Amino acid sequence: MNANDTVSDRFELARGELTMAQIAAGLAFGAAIVFALLFLQEPLAHDATHSFRHAAGVVCH
Amino acid sequence: MIHEYFQRGVAAGVIAGLAYGLYMMFVGNPLSEYVEAAAGGHEGGHAHGGAGSLVPETTTAAVSATSGVLWAVLLGGAFAVALYLLEPALPGRGDVKAYVLAGVGFFSVSVTPWLVFPPAAPGAVYQYPIDTRIAVYLGLVVVGVGLSAAAIGAYKRFAPRHVGLGVLAGSAPILVAVVVLPVLAPTAATHPDLPADLVAAYRGLVVLSQAALWLLLAGAFTRLRRWADGDRSAASTEKALSNL
Repeated sequence: MNANDTVSDRFELARGELTMAQIAAGLAFGAAIVFALLFLQEPLAHDATHSFRHAAGVVCH
Repeated sequence: MIHEYFQRGVAAGVIAGLAYGLYMMFVGNPLSEYVEAAAGGHEGGHAHGGAGSLVPETTTAAVSATSGVLWAVLLGGAFAVALYLLEPALPGRGDVKAYVLAGVGFFSVSVTPWLVFPPAAPGAVYQYPIDTRIAVYLGLVVVGVGLSAAAIGAYKRFAPRHVGLGVLAGSAPILVAVVVLPVLAPTAATHPDLPADLVAAYRGLVVLSQAALWLLLAGAFTRLRRWADGDRSAASTEKALSNL
């Protein structure tokens, strides 16, 4: 990695360093957090994260 | 290399998240509960917090504070991966790139959706069902990324002639969005039971706290990177000296 990299160089580098399984695991973790924090409308979970959703300004109910 | 970025991003997320979690604990939660109570709690068809709630107040407080930590960790990880991939395309030099990306994140994840759905205080009455709002919110995040790309592209095109011209060109897409979107967007939520001043103060705190979160993320990330670079150069100096 150096200062003359382009964006596509970085994508190539990342592809070389990571396996598909790692990329999939990372995306799955991200998706799980997003889902739990923002989309889960199940009443108990929703009620418990309610203050957070309002205070962070993300859509609620 | 991307591993190092990701590690630092998550670590920066933990640092920013602890601060944000404390904010949730001492400001976000009590304020939300106060506003909820001021709005009459269980009116308007959705009871949260207070007496009509499904879960005890302490649970809501603990989960909301923890959610704050998770939120920062998520943003930190995503920030670091995006920085690794996009660093060459970002304007500025060294650490400045990280702060530019944090600005892009704040603008895309928070500000653009807020132009259509301003942060709602508890007790708000919504005009549209939740599914519609989530879909539009996600769409607006994409719009925010597009606007940021346009702003950076315009800056890079005009900055070689004059930095001021670059800044002017770069801020144009953002200013247009900030002025036009709220005018076009229908009112999505009203706060019939709350004084306007309280709603304004609540919104102000939401905006400031998210901006502070991004700033802290970028600050912690660049600080961690400097420490690591410092260690590395110290180690190589030591090695060079021991080889003498």
